Amino acid sequence: MWSRIAFVARRAWNNLRELFWTHFLTAVAMTMTLFVFGAFMLLQENLQNLLKGWGDQIQINAYLEKNLDTAEVQNLWQRIRSLAEVQEVRYISSAQAWKDFQGALGAQSGVLEGLPKDVLPASFEITIKPAFRDSPLVAGLAARLKKEKGITVVEYPQEWVQRLSLVVLAVRWAKWILGGALFMVTFFIVGSAVKLALLARKDEIEMMQLFGASKQLIQAPFVVEGMTQGIVGGLLSILCLWLLFQSLREVIPSGGLVGPLAQFEFLDLRSAGVILAIGLFLGGAGSLFSLQRFIKTWRS
Amino acid sequence: MIQLLHVSKRYPPNLQALTDICLKIHQGEFVFITGPSGAGKTTLLKLLFRGEEPSEGEILLNGQNVNRLNSRGVARLRRGIGLVFQEFKLLPRLTALENVALAAEVVGTSKRESCIRAYHLLRELGLKEKCDAKPLMLSGGEQQRVAIARALVNNPLLVLADEPTGNLDAQVSDETMRLFLRIREHGTTIMIASHDGSLIQRYGTRVVSLQAGCLAADLHRVKKQEGAR
Repeated sequence: MWSRIAFVARRAWNNLRELFWTHFLTAVAMTMTLFVFGAFMLLQENLQNLLKGWGDQIQINAYLEKNLDTAEVQNLWQRIRSLAEVQEVRYISSAQAWKDFQGALGAQSGVLEGLPKDVLPASFEITIKPAFRDSPLVAGLAARLKKEKGITVVEYPQEWVQRLSLVVLAVRWAKWILGGALFMVTFFIVGSAVKLALLARKDEIEMMQLFGASKQLIQAPFVVEGMTQGIVGGLLSILCLWLLFQSLREVIPSGGLVGPLAQFEFLDLRSAGVILAIGLFLGGAGSLFSLQRFIKTWRS
Repeated sequence: MIQLLHVSKRYPPNLQALTDICLKIHQGEFVFITGPSGAGKTTLLKLLFRGEEPSEGEILLNGQNVNRLNSRGVARLRRGIGLVFQEFKLLPRLTALENVALAAEVVGTSKRESCIRAYHLLRELGLKEKCDAKPLMLSGGEQQRVAIARALVNNPLLVLADEPTGNLDAQVSDETMRLFLRIREHGTTIMIASHDGSLIQRYGTRVVSLQAGCLAADLHRVKKQEGAR
């Protein structure tokens, strides 16, 4: 068993060394493909994080009628608090709203002079439980709140969340469509590299067959070569992505409108593992595909 | 024991290489397959190691039907057969020792053990000093001896040699034949395809003659073999 493993490793190493440039260029092609795929993955993950961040801040503002007494407000608070989707309900009185508004205007608060202090309606700030932060569920809850007696207007940042969800969906699809097309191309590039290695070793393979080498022993070194290319391509692509990520972080200023972008995070271990696994699969499958075709052609 | 039962081989579109061959060869026999070019000698050898499949008939090797083997079975079958070719078929990238050792390595022998076996065989065949030489640095006779060492490295029960002296001069051909006779002394069956009449005359103990794919004669000549020794 160990002697066979050692034999396969030795042959794969010799093949990689003897056809170094062919294998190197194939690994570069693999790197480019996995880099594009990884870039989409990075974008998607960060958009999802952004969406999740926004989702955490999702709250519904329910504005109340002006003439509600304390008991009615208390009843309404309890009814809303008891809803399954609701995590927290905070009552903002008309006076508190006025104070908050003044604070938000800061130096320009003078514009409010002359206005009655109860011009702003009292409201509930409703925080939603994480499990119910999907757009349709939020919209459903908002519609139900609108029907509550004593509530006049219900507001929530629905449109932005929906738009960003669409962007994430588009990125996810683009990742698989573009990535899939590139995977196909890489698959054939790997196959061609293995075919060159096979042609260079045709006499050796023929002799091995005549000596009684098993099909697996003949094929294994070429599959190992393909998988090595995949691993190297995967690691290089992750390195390139990290360099891109670092340079973007330096360029993007923190704070302001693009503030959330400055909180971009690099791929987690799972995503890096996915890139490596795809590289391994492409390398191994491309080699096997080429081997099957080559041996079939050769036998015929 | 090798048995060929009504074996025929046709190549498309309509080349009849062998027709209705029936043969029985016992363990340890030294057999020449002879006949003019195109008589079917090489095809007959190829059928024995499943390099080709017969169009009709059955081939039994120690009771095992060669035609019915799957790819794994074919690999196992070949591990018990040593092959020698006219053009030696040594791998030019490898040294003499590596060429021989490779045949042992591919059947699961460790590199160290394969090299030891290869070294002993090459030493036995008078090539101790040539272990590190690449095939192109060796003479035709030396190359053929390396090829014979390679055929023997897995201790086969059967050695098939296709025109093994075709590229050798008379003296080296004689040496090669004596080598085959020595191998046979260990109980190995030797089958040699050759059209060299003088060699067959001197060394042939059993001569199977083919003519246009048909079995023309099957002669047993015990005395000749003794004389050759």
